[in-house]
Amino acid sequence: MKSILSMATILMILLSVAQVNAQDGNSILQKVDEVMFSPNDMSATNKIILIDKNQKQETREAKVIQKGTDKRLFRFTSPASQAGIAFLSLPNDVMYLYMPAFAKERRISTSVKNQNFAGTDFSYDDLEAKAFASKYTPKLLKTEGNTFVLELTPKTKGEYSKVIATINKTEYYVHKTEFYDNGNKKIKEAIYTFKKIGKYWNPAEIVMTDLKKNHKTKMIMENVKYDTGLKDDDFTVRKLVQ
Amino acid sequence: MKKIVLIIQIAMLVGIANLKAQDSIPENELQTENPILKISGEFLGDERFLLNDNDQWFWNENRLSLKLEKKSENGVKFFSEIWFRNFGLPAYQSAADLYNKGILNPNEIEIRELYVSKQGFLFENLDVKLGRQRIAWGTADKLNPTDNLNAYDLEDLLDFGRHRASNTLNMNLFLNNEFSLQAVYIPFFEPTNLPVSVFANVLNSDFTLPQGMTLTAQSNEIIQPEFSFLENAVYGFKFKGYAKGIDFSLSYLSGRDALPTAAYNTFTPTDGWGGVSIHSNLEYAPVHVLGFDLATNIANVGVWAETALYFAKEDVHIKNNLSAFYPYLPQPVISDSIFWKKTESKLKWVVGGDYHFSKGGYINFQYLHGFIHERGNENLSDYFFLRYEKTFFNEKLKLMPLSGAFIVTDWENLNENFAYAYMPEVVYFATPEMEISLSAVLFEGKGNNLFAGLKDLDMLMFKLKYSF
Repeated sequence: MKSILSMATILMILLSVAQVNAQDGNSILQKVDEVMFSPNDMSATNKIILIDKNQKQETREAKVIQKGTDKRLFRFTSPASQAGIAFLSLPNDVMYLYMPAFAKERRISTSVKNQNFAGTDFSYDDLEAKAFASKYTPKLLKTEGNTFVLELTPKTKGEYSKVIATINKTEYYVHKTEFYDNGNKKIKEAIYTFKKIGKYWNPAEIVMTDLKKNHKTKMIMENVKYDTGLKDDDFTVRKLVQ
Repeated sequence: MKKIVLIIQIAMLVGIANLKAQDSIPENELQTENPILKISGEFLGDERFLLNDNDQWFWNENRLSLKLEKKSENGVKFFSEIWFRNFGLPAYQSAADLYNKGILNPNEIEIRELYVSKQGFLFENLDVKLGRQRIAWGTADKLNPTDNLNAYDLEDLLDFGRHRASNTLNMNLFLNNEFSLQAVYIPFFEPTNLPVSVFANVLNSDFTLPQGMTLTAQSNEIIQPEFSFLENAVYGFKFKGYAKGIDFSLSYLSGRDALPTAAYNTFTPTDGWGGVSIHSNLEYAPVHVLGFDLATNIANVGVWAETALYFAKEDVHIKNNLSAFYPYLPQPVISDSIFWKKTESKLKWVVGGDYHFSKGGYINFQYLHGFIHERGNENLSDYFFLRYEKTFFNEKLKLMPLSGAFIVTDWENLNENFAYAYMPEVVYFATPEMEISLSAVLFEGKGNNLFAGLKDLDMLMFKLKYSF
């Protein structure tokens, strides 16, 4: 009888701890979203450096504007072979591609989210500006120094089975994310460097490493401006094909 | 002489642009959103030879595509694209030709686009573009039955979907962020330019003569429409929108058929053994075209459909004057048949889809009913296009092992009326600016159709593209 009671007590304690952890994970992730997605809009130039296993580098540049968490316009400015190519992402996974050579926009299938973005180690999915809480179910794994470590499980099936995110305990921005495939093998890792611009924390540099290919992409954000009053009109096919 | 003047003008433009760039504009400012004048372009080297004709070279193209672009902060944009080409193979036949560099080394200049546009012209929601421009209608991938404003550029038959630009007034009124109205006016019709080199006769229709007659000579004359305000104009309207996850458009075009009809043919006997010469008057039939297209996503698959309904504005007749065979008859002997009744529409359409696999795979499929040169609903063939490509080594290498088309002209007698073109390709991106591709095109087929006509022309193609 005693053993049954003690078992039940242990179970209840375990369950309540799990609940506390889940709640903690949720509240932490909510705070991360508040830090990362609080600006109304953002404009920046992106320098994208591809580094192969022999440390050979290729650089691409683009301008990006974003409004809220689901409107983004990304336009390459270099190299010359890609200059002018632009992507427009709108709510409900509506995406358009503009290639100057074809003189018109083209709706892109949502399956493109499986792909790496323009030869980088980021998938289209990685670059989505959607709030973490809308994409993942969090679980607090541990606290380590000045960081929380969360396990994020995707709410819908995709290329990752889970993401382990290391989060700054005081400012709630992300230090590191580790991506695991459906075989639970770590396949990618992103290291973030955040800088404060005005009242917002900005991911000034992200280094994404594809562990299988031993290939890196360094994405540097420059000339970042927040809350400049971008309108919905700036995120239309009309603007895409300019 | 005109070409020389044009070269000088372009050289001055480029020179001025360079001076401006060097004198007053820091290099990095050329990358800003409103550059003073942006100069870009590409070099394309395109060499092809036939595989089953003693490896004969048949295509030589070295093209400099030079683009000048200037955007102002007030929404005005100037754009031009000019091709400078060394195109074709030397064709010297006599000693006199050796004095002519144009024969030994054929060069040409072509203004592909040259326009000025203004966003927010008169009203905030009205964009206007004036000048020589390409207006591409349709949601399908390169095979667009509704894309009829600009003349087809069929010079390279394998470059599907290529059109020439037209001198155009193009207005777009944006009703809101989802819906827009477009009006286009092209003051004069420009005809399709036909395929060259080994593709030259591929689109020609079979001409069946009465039994006992043999064609000994053929000539023709194109009856060009008058340059009047509406008679020779091409104009169109398009309503474009987005609703419930679907992009769609409805369009109307008033123009002319892309290829001419032999409307009046004069037959003349040339000998006493059935030899006959034919002189044809060719006319471009005026047409109405109603178009509809859509694009959306279904279960992560990109899906598109596009259809165009062609109506002749008047009955299109084919008249054959056989009077020369009956010199003693007082009345001319003319047979008259209606080739295309104005009450009979022809419907061309395409449906397609694409899907991106993880790890760099991509597949694209299209079904097309009715190619550009096909007329009459009963003569429209079925075309199936498939392309599977996969990238490797961080997109340094792209392979297209499955790429090609399959044509059926008569399902009831498939064995005698089919053709396919298999087009594998490998592309190597040597640097971010340079790509090199090697491809083959293998044709096979039977019957009277586009690719069966090319079955002896299997080819290998090498292309190099450098962007700057």
